[in-house]
Amino acid sequence: MDEQQLRVFIDIVSQYFERQTGKAPEVGSPYLGDASALPIYDFTGVIGISGERQGCVYVTAHRDLLRQLLLHVGEADVSDTNLCDLVGEVANTISGNARRYFGPDFMISVPVVVSGNARAIQVPRSVKAYILPLRWHKFEAALVVSLQ
Amino acid sequence: MEGAYAMLKLGLGKYRSIVVLITLFLVFDVGVLGMTFVISRQLTADAISINLAGQHRYLVQKLAKTALLIDQDATQGTFDSSGRSSLNEVKDLIATADRFNAIINTFDGGAKLPDMTEELALTPSQDEQAAAMFALVKDLWAPINSEVQSLNQPKDGHRPDVGPLLQVLIPSNLNLLASSHLLTSRLEALSAAKAARLRGGQMAGMAAALINFAFILYSFLGQLRKSDQAVERAQRETEDILRTTQEGLFLLDPDFRMGSQTSHALSRIIGVEAKGGENFLDLLKPLVTPKTYDTTKEYIELLLRHDVKEKLVASLNPLDCIEISAVRPSGAVESRFLQIRFNRVLQGNKVTHLLVTVNDITRRVKLERELKDSERRVQDQMGMMVNILQADPRQLQDFLRAASDGLNQINEDLRTASPTTGVSTPRVDAMMRIAHRLKGDAAALQLEAVSQSLHAFENVLQELRVLTRRSSEDLLPVAVRVKGLYAEIAAIQDVIARIGQVRGVVSVEPPKPPHDPEVAALAFVRQWRSFAQQLAQRHEKAVELSYQGIDVEQLSPQLRDAVNTAVNQFIRNAVVHGVEKPADRKMRGKSEAGRLSVYVSDQGDGTIELSFRDDGRGINPEKIRAAAIRSGRLSPEAAKAFDARQLTLMIFEPGLSTREHVDEDAGRGVGLDAVKDLITRLGGRIRIGTTSGEYCHFRVQLPVKVEPRDDHIDAPIKEVA
Repeated sequence: MDEQQLRVFIDIVSQYFERQTGKAPEVGSPYLGDASALPIYDFTGVIGISGERQGCVYVTAHRDLLRQLLLHVGEADVSDTNLCDLVGEVANTISGNARRYFGPDFMISVPVVVSGNARAIQVPRSVKAYILPLRWHKFEAALVVSLQ
Repeated sequence: MEGAYAMLKLGLGKYRSIVVLITLFLVFDVGVLGMTFVISRQLTADAISINLAGQHRYLVQKLAKTALLIDQDATQGTFDSSGRSSLNEVKDLIATADRFNAIINTFDGGAKLPDMTEELALTPSQDEQAAAMFALVKDLWAPINSEVQSLNQPKDGHRPDVGPLLQVLIPSNLNLLASSHLLTSRLEALSAAKAARLRGGQMAGMAAALINFAFILYSFLGQLRKSDQAVERAQRETEDILRTTQEGLFLLDPDFRMGSQTSHALSRIIGVEAKGGENFLDLLKPLVTPKTYDTTKEYIELLLRHDVKEKLVASLNPLDCIEISAVRPSGAVESRFLQIRFNRVLQGNKVTHLLVTVNDITRRVKLERELKDSERRVQDQMGMMVNILQADPRQLQDFLRAASDGLNQINEDLRTASPTTGVSTPRVDAMMRIAHRLKGDAAALQLEAVSQSLHAFENVLQELRVLTRRSSEDLLPVAVRVKGLYAEIAAIQDVIARIGQVRGVVSVEPPKPPHDPEVAALAFVRQWRSFAQQLAQRHEKAVELSYQGIDVEQLSPQLRDAVNTAVNQFIRNAVVHGVEKPADRKMRGKSEAGRLSVYVSDQGDGTIELSFRDDGRGINPEKIRAAAIRSGRLSPEAAKAFDARQLTLMIFEPGLSTREHVDEDAGRGVGLDAVKDLITRLGGRIRIGTTSGEYCHFRVQLPVKVEPRDDHIDAPIKEVA
């Protein structure tokens, strides 16, 4: 995966925030992390990728960020269910757009939402993942791209 | 047309007996109906005869009564003076007689009476008794008739004289009556007998029809049951096949609808619920790309055309290998490969359906991919391996360590970079220094690919450096290059690990020190040689010991003793356990005398290396396994789980000997244990290499300056080739 492709993922997430709230998130310095030390916040939306390259892309966010995002879009119900749905929607947006961008080489699944310390997220163990930190209204989130 | 005819024939063939039985049933029914009609006609006709015979009785009585009335009128003078009434009565008499005559005539085969609707079926002449009775009636009637006829044409005013008639009539009246009665009775009996015969026939016909019907019922039900059983069996077989087969199977009609029956495996294989009767293309749509979907539709339509050869278009099947993905709850995508094939189902020359077979070929495809990957990796690694093999191992290890540290440092700089200003210029400079140093090291090691990658990385850093503000987007190429470098370093480490597996055996063979005949004749060598010969003699073996290397006598006493002890123990071990008896060696194509090669060399790095090699049978892990169990060191289960390497390492453990009997030379299992202990104490290390049936090779490294240690030696390396 080259920088162009990484940029696609960042753009999708940025545009989502911008469209929904009028403010794009700040994207922190990208770095690499081992499978055992990847950031996982309160809610995580995972899309699996198969085909030529296997792995996953996930967006993980603090509860406060998602709550704030919901309030921004005029949704007063900030229950966990709604927060899950929201992170799912972000992941779904990534999935839909990435599918359009990458074409048939990347087989992108529908998203799965995991809440809490999601140990169950399966990322390839043998490679380092790209970690793209996100900050929106001082709340933290991250976009993680882990592909073999 | 011919087909239809054949089918008809086939159908009749199957139901032939039923058709024959039903035809018979109808024939019997028609027969019974006919019989009933005949009986009815017969009874009607016979009734006429009986009636006529019965009329005779009545006519006789009427005649007698009329004659007596005429006679009474004449006697009592009540006779009409005009004679008119008598005349009428005479006419009546004559009419009665005529009727009597007409009946006789009819019975005799004459013309039928005007009031008869049909011909007589029963006449007295048909039966002997009846004929006799009829003849008697005629005989008795003839004189009476004659007298009646003489009264014919009476004249008005004249009193008819019935005297002569009465004279004839009175005596024979009763006889005639009785005869007529008997005739009637006889005819009745004849009619009844005939009717009984016909009814018998009718009953027989009905019985035959009923039996036939029962037979039809039995035969038809039997055939039906048999046919049902066959259908049921066929259905059960089909169900069994569909339930058990590991393939997805179903029929597809020209409207793309799936047949009512599908194999149970189908839903499991395609990962979605597949029901009979569904539209196959609808089922396929979410699984494949729009292009594949369209091509599949066209392909199926092509197959359904009978003018296109199936084999020719088979290669166009777009579903021969498709990848579908399913998401597991954890978010991981499970990718599977399916092969969907279509075969025509023909009736005559017409394609009625397509038989669709769905197979999960994930394993096959993955194996193929792994094979391709593996081939590619091997090719990549081969190139790298050549350089790595040429490189100095220590330098290479240093480089890898430095590269790993450097990359970690760069990654850490990225991680801790300011979210607003990015990486600072001094940090970029530091990154460039790391990259440059690593590039130089890689070039020195002739790791061209890594060197080039680092060069490209330097360029990226250079571009980054000139920026006044470095956004996260600007850092993306850095992260991508760092990841690439991590991967390359990991690949080199992988190759080294693989080489290590081979080198473990190779590297145990040290470069041989130059042969010095003088050294070879020194006292310590003679002592080793003599010890080897003694042992060999005791064990009926032959050995030759050769030595190359430094003068051991020149070593420090402690080191010399250690070398001496180790060599003596290795000799003992080799002669007792390793070297085969001369005959055995000959059979194995070896020289009869076992070769013991001892090298001692100064490594120039403050260590000496002792190498001891025999060309005996090597170490047999199975013998060690047995010894470990025998000595109680391992349970049979634990011993079973030990691999050859672990077992070989056990030769250094105290109290383990593969010898079943203890003698002065071996069996207590203390020799190699003691050597290991000695070397450990001197701060050295020992390694072992062996190939079963070929050799056993010990390599000991000892520091020249001995600093006794209490800790254990490095894990002895043992490689089994």
